[in-house]
Amino acid sequence: MKRNLLWRGLLIFSILAAAVAAALPLDKKINLGLDLQGGMHLVLQVHTEDAVRAETDGDMGLLVQQAQKESLPISGHRISDTSFGITGVTPESRDKISELYDKYLKGGWDSDIRSDRATFTMKSQYATQTRQMAVSQAVQTIRNRIDAFGVTEPTIQEASNNRIVVQLPGVDDPDRVRNLIKNTAFLEFRIVRNGPFPDRQAALANLGNPPSGDLEILPEDVRDKADASKILETVYWVVDKQRTVTGRDLKNARPSRGQLSEPIVEFSLNPEGAEKFSELTGSNIGKPLAIVLDGRIVSAPRINARIRDSGIIEGGFTEESAQDLSTVLRSGALPASITYLEERTVGPSLGRDSIEKSVLAGVVGTALVVLYMLVIYNLSGLNAVLALVLNIVLLFGGLAAFDATLTLPGIAGVILTIGMAVDANVLVFERIREELHAGRTVRSAIDLGFEKALSSIVDGNVTTLIAALFLFQFGTGPIRGFAVTLTIGLLASMFTAVFVSRWMFDLVLSRFRIQKLSI
Amino acid sequence: MELLRDTNIDFMKYRKFWIIVSLVLVGIGVFAVFFHGNLNVGVDFAGGTQLTLQFREKPETERLRTILSQHNLEDAEITRFGTEDENEVMIRTRLVKGKTEGTRDVIEKAVDKAYNGEQAAGKIDVNRVGADGLAALLLAADPDNRKVQGEDAARAHYADVAKKIMDKRRETGLFTSWNDLSGIPGASPQAVSALQQRAALGAFTVTGVENVGPQIGKELRQQGFWAVALSLLGMLVYIWIRFELRFGVGAIMACIHDVLVTLGLFALFGFEFNLTTIAAFLTLIGYSVNDTVVIFDRIRENMRKSRRKPLIEVMNESINQTLSRTLLTGGSTLLALAALLWLGGDVIRGFAFVMLVGILVGTYSSIYVASPFALLWEQYFGAKGERRAAPARTDGEAQPVRR
Repeated sequence: MKRNLLWRGLLIFSILAAAVAAALPLDKKINLGLDLQGGMHLVLQVHTEDAVRAETDGDMGLLVQQAQKESLPISGHRISDTSFGITGVTPESRDKISELYDKYLKGGWDSDIRSDRATFTMKSQYATQTRQMAVSQAVQTIRNRIDAFGVTEPTIQEASNNRIVVQLPGVDDPDRVRNLIKNTAFLEFRIVRNGPFPDRQAALANLGNPPSGDLEILPEDVRDKADASKILETVYWVVDKQRTVTGRDLKNARPSRGQLSEPIVEFSLNPEGAEKFSELTGSNIGKPLAIVLDGRIVSAPRINARIRDSGIIEGGFTEESAQDLSTVLRSGALPASITYLEERTVGPSLGRDSIEKSVLAGVVGTALVVLYMLVIYNLSGLNAVLALVLNIVLLFGGLAAFDATLTLPGIAGVILTIGMAVDANVLVFERIREELHAGRTVRSAIDLGFEKALSSIVDGNVTTLIAALFLFQFGTGPIRGFAVTLTIGLLASMFTAVFVSRWMFDLVLSRFRIQKLSI
Repeated sequence: MELLRDTNIDFMKYRKFWIIVSLVLVGIGVFAVFFHGNLNVGVDFAGGTQLTLQFREKPETERLRTILSQHNLEDAEITRFGTEDENEVMIRTRLVKGKTEGTRDVIEKAVDKAYNGEQAAGKIDVNRVGADGLAALLLAADPDNRKVQGEDAARAHYADVAKKIMDKRRETGLFTSWNDLSGIPGASPQAVSALQQRAALGAFTVTGVENVGPQIGKELRQQGFWAVALSLLGMLVYIWIRFELRFGVGAIMACIHDVLVTLGLFALFGFEFNLTTIAAFLTLIGYSVNDTVVIFDRIRENMRKSRRKPLIEVMNESINQTLSRTLLTGGSTLLALAALLWLGGDVIRGFAFVMLVGILVGTYSSIYVASPFALLWEQYFGAKGERRAAPARTDGEAQPVRR
């Protein structure tokens, strides 16, 4: 008996020590949920149709371009996101078109080539692949942008249905982050043919007669030089549709200062881009070059000389917007547009407030429960209190060891566990009281008490654990945190009530001759 | 201190009366929720936007309503949040058709324009900007003359100053006046006055956002429903395995009773039903069944001991025996929850309410609903779920209890 006591005691102390070691230092080891430390939780929907449509446009353009090289005057038009048609096919050119199809499009497209036109439909596998790539690319792009922002430990993950879940702890300026993430940031350089015009109609008149298919009209918001957020007027330019140099050709972009100390963005191009840019600027000296962002012209400086691999973008930037644009250009354009399906932001002061209040509640609650146990069970109540303390230590140790996240409902779970943990003790003690009442000796009453109460403890706790399991399955974030603390708390309470309390009783009994148990 | 040793209350005697009482309570609960239209469903399930704003001065809800009605949001709910001196307001709007992204931006811009006005346009808002925005502004102004030491040194210095200012702001949420900025270690008076000149101190800041689009709202509703339904099913199966079907039925009846009555009271008090509430109800289910199982366990033990005693007597005996345990555990958990309800703050109050009421109702139902229903089931369907030709006679008759 004595030896058994020793081993059990050692086991208990080593578990206790392990829990303490795992849980300290408390503020480093315990992950706080977003609702406690403050931060943003975003669920984004990636509109993969954009990416699919872009592929269709791209492949259509490729086919038309190659056909024109062979002097086939065909033209293409998009029918849907996943299909396009070709007109201008003749019985003679039909075979050539087929050949081109085989060479360039066969992998991803089904064809229907007739003697006067052709229709191409994207294979479903290709479409799925494109969608999937759009999402992963979006994740990468967003990650790049957030890295630049300097958020500690961000979480960016793909979720089902082409969604992305982003969690950013400790964000002080949520608006800026949201805009940063969402910015499609598609940059292009276009040659200006005519403009500026004060309104769209005037610009339309200058598209030529008949209106040239190679030109389009883009707006520019002219900003106040002194106060970049003020838009003075919107003018319209007639520009080339063709985009040769785009954001993809950028090597780097960084914020800087212009001649009047106003914020600007400096960019540099990679070798391929530099080649194209050099050709573009070299053959268009004297014309304005429109710098277009997401379909709007930011500025249109005149080309004075051939530019090779670097340049500046100026036009009504603030410090912040220059910085953000650089970040966004460096990270690459988003392959598809995104919308926010869900946003939950908790400001840091709200989080801190919640922690303070619930810790206070926890301390008061624990004190009440301790008092309660002592009043009702006298000295045996002390047994229960010690078990409770051990329970709490194990709970925090478990949270730290399993890398679980403590959320506000989770803290409520801790407080709840404190109340419920004594249940197992109560079951045992009540049984012991009963047995004592029935006339048994102290030793056998204690033994019987533990023995008979065990099945109640197990059955009762298993049912609560079932509830916790469903909570875990169903919940995200805060609810999961609650399910985890509840589960760990219950398991710990079973251990302390059955094993530890018993050991404490045995310890006392082995040292003192107890005639009457204080219970 | 011992309570309730050797009680001999005949719980089962008036069970028909208590079953009726329970049904009435459930009825009231259901009525309150479904017909009175009273359940305050949060944005988690209904979708919509909920914005919590903290103002420098006492916010005037009427003024806010006027501002919002200019943007077609006059039916927004505007409530004071937190304690009096915290000056926080919660604005809640329903889903707006066509705007998946909610009204968050609209509301923020509208309040910004109305409260901060034109003079702050274009300036950085010290109450809403992030650390690097502040640092950049300070670097441009260079009030501490650090640029002479080099661009990098200056940048590092102002980043540090900005961080200290942000840390201070996090404590209270926002700065109520420029004076709050003086006395921050690391922020020199020149730096503060530079900010005063070049930046604005906004009238409010956003402390919390919950924006749930229609798809997510729908998904959460479905998930919530299934979580509760499946967990009830799981309990039923477990108890059926460990005890018998009739006990399983009794336990589930008690559970459903608890959920509906608590839900009714919850609706009556106007608490907001959101994700945390579902968590509370699932826990409540767990606790209620736990409670019921303890009694059933004792019944099972007594049934084994005295095979000839009629079930109704065994039930009475068992309930009396476990009475002190039931009350004591309930009492202890109630103490912990009372602390939470009283001190835990607005965010967790609804949760604590559900648990508190749930435990009271759950304790009642473990005695007056679970066992009577198990008894009823046996009378109509027999032990182990066998069907009998006619309902057997009740009280007092010695019935062979088959195992």
